[in-house]
This record gives sequence, structure tokens and C-alpha cells, in this order.
Amino acid sequence: MSGNAELRRLVMFQGVLLVVLLLALSNAPVGDAIWLNVPPTGTKCVSEEIQSNVVVLSDYVVVSDDHGHVPTISAKVTSPYGNNLHHKENVTHGQFAFTTQEAGNYLACFWTDSHTRGAGEVSVNIEWKTGIAAKDWESVARKEKIEGVELELRKLEGAVEAIHENLLYLRDREAEMRTTSENTNARVAWFSIMSLGICIVVSGSQIWYLKRYFQKKKLI
Amino acid sequence: MERKWRKIWGLIGLLLLNFVNNVSSLSLTITKVECVYKIVRSEGDIVSGNFVVVDHHIFWSSDHPGIDFSIISPGGDILHNLKGTSGDKFSFKAPRSGLYQFCFHNPLSTPETIALYIHIGHIPNEHNLAKNEHVDPINVKIAELREALEAVTTEQKYLKARDAVHRRTNESTKKRVIGYTVGEYILLTIASVLQVVYIRRLFSKSVGYNRI
Repeated sequence: MSGNAELRRLVMFQGVLLVVLLLALSNAPVGDAIWLNVPPTGTKCVSEEIQSNVVVLSDYVVVSDDHGHVPTISAKVTSPYGNNLHHKENVTHGQFAFTTQEAGNYLACFWTDSHTRGAGEVSVNIEWKTGIAAKDWESVARKEKIEGVELELRKLEGAVEAIHENLLYLRDREAEMRTTSENTNARVAWFSIMSLGICIVVSGSQIWYLKRYFQKKKLI
Repeated sequence: MERKWRKIWGLIGLLLLNFVNNVSSLSLTITKVECVYKIVRSEGDIVSGNFVVVDHHIFWSSDHPGIDFSIISPGGDILHNLKGTSGDKFSFKAPRSGLYQFCFHNPLSTPETIALYIHIGHIPNEHNLAKNEHVDPINVKIAELREALEAVTTEQKYLKARDAVHRRTNESTKKRVIGYTVGEYILLTIASVLQVVYIRRLFSKSVGYNRI
């Protein structure tokens, strides 16, 4: 990495740090965001294995150091069966929300557009929330008229329920894998015995055939 | 109209995180070097997480060197350095606020998929607040309770990722058992048929010879 790019990166990080500190002091939460560097060529993909009927909420923003030229990116989100859930080109920010219909690997891909290519790597701030983290607590508070400590405790109750669900899921998966393992174990035993059996049968038939052949040729 | 509503919903969702509840769980594909960055809002936050290498393209040898993992603080110090792992947990107290880098390095050229989960836990204390603000002790207790629950969730994410790896290994083993056994049977039969054919040819020539 050349010194110039390093310096630019440092300056950019410091600038962003300042912005972040300002935001933090003004009590506007940054949220649970992850930053990624989208390379100038090729795509950067993130994925997650999600069960069905789970709410997914996501928000992505391009972070740039100089305000004159903000690079744009394109984003695409696909379901495990290949359905296109979200597709946007040439944007600096965007968000998508959906409820998963099928369980599987959900893929979100980002790539820089051809217009802004040559600007190096683009930093994208991605917020990705699934399940209990994506729950809309504001509307729950409004609907049931609870606030403060009670709301916090309600959130904790939601978290405990999510943990319970996860535990059940893990237990089911473990049971599935145990079945597969025992199946494979039984199969290995059967196939080995069968292989021995086939070996004996084949060699027996060889001997029988050759004996008959030699007897026909009057060599024995 | 729906888009506007979605925007509002998204904004509300964003604004909701008053007590920092930072979680993020993602899978990335690493070809050479990949870095994930996360902002830690206040010093003293506990950063915990784990990662598991999900795709092991190991077919013939278990000599895979593994993935190198390092955590770099905003000041540039390396907080955590692991070489050649296939998954690990990490937890540290952030010495300062800022942007933390979680970097992976893949020594081989085959891309590997990594499931990463990072959680930043913040417990409000008297330290960071202005002079005339007080921290309600019940809020502190609630935050501690939430952090304990998040620790359980972190562990669960780790177990989920490990379970995914084991499932892949199991399914691969099952396929291999069937494939290799059927191939073995076919090969055995072909070899024995060829043997018989060869012996036939051998003896038919020599018999022809002896008739001269």
C-alpha cells in the first residue's frame, strides 16, 4: 500500500471518527453497522443462513471522505431459490426489508458502478438485522402503552424467547445429524460386507467359468 | 407510498437502538484478505464474537494451513492475532472508541467462507456522562442482564456455525461412501471380467500353437 493511499485512508478514518463521535454525543445511535470495502472490480457479497418466517431489515450507506464526489454502488439481494428480493443500481444509500419465505442462504452483493470505477475501494456501511433485532419496539410500546423499564424488560423477554427458539433449532439439527451419522454408519457396514460378498461371488464365478472353459478345450 | 412507509419503518428501527445493542452476524467469502470494520462507540465496551470457517475445500489432505485472523484497534495496535485456525471465539475490552478492524487472511488461493459474529456490549456507567446526569441503577442492572443474554446468543451463533460445518462434513461423507462403494463394485467386476478375457486369449493362442 503506497504512503499516499495510507495517508488518505487515515484521514478518511479520522474524519469518519469525528462524525461518529459527533453522532454519539448527539445521541443519534449509529446502530449495529458493519463496514465493508467494496473493491473497484468484482463484487463483495455477504450472506447469512436464515430460517423461514424471519424479518430481515437492512440499510446500507456509502461512506466517502470528500463530499464533492460520492461514489455510487449497486446492490442486489437474492433468496436461496434465486429470487431477486432487492436490486438497485447507482445509489449512495438504500434499504430493504423482507420476511423470509424459505430457509436457506440469503445473499446480498455489492459492486461499484462503471461510472465511479477507478476511485479505489468504496467503503459501505451496512446494517443487517434479522429476527428479534429487527423487531419494531416503538409500535409495541405505543400499542400496549408501556415505556421505560417495562419496555426494556419486554425486550429482554423477547431476547429470551429468541434464545429458546435457537436452542430448539439447534437440538433439531443435532437430531437430524445424528440420524444421518447413524445411517452412514449402518451403510458403511452393509457396503463393506456386500463388497466382501461381491468379491467372493466374482472370484467363485471366475474359477467356475475358467474350469468349464478348460474342460471344453480339453486341457484339464 | 409503501416505499415511504418502509423508509419510516427503517428510520424508526434505526432510532430505536438507544441502549447500544450492537450485533451483526454475517458470512463472508475470503479470497485473499478481507477486513470487516466496526465502530465502538465508547471506551470500555466489551467486544465479543466468534468466527467459523464454513467451507473447507479439503479433499485429499488435511494439510490446510487454516485462516489467519487479526483484530486491529483504531490506533493501529494488533489486539488479537491467530494463525492457521478454522474458527475461534474472541472477547476483549475496547481500550478506546473508534473503528476496529477484523481482518482475515487466506494463505491459499481457494476462496473460503467464514461465518462471523461480532457483538459490542455497553453497560452505562457514571464515567461517560455529563455532570448533571445520573445513571439509574436499574438501568445498569438491565444492561448487565442484557449483556448476559447476548453472551448466550453469541455462543448460540457459534454453535450454529459449527453445526453447519458438521452437517457439510456428514453429507460429504455420505456421498463419498455411496460413490466410492459403487465405484469399487464396478471396478471389481470389470477387473475380473478382464482377467477372464485375458486368460482366455492366453490359452487360446497357446493351444493354437500346440496344434502345429
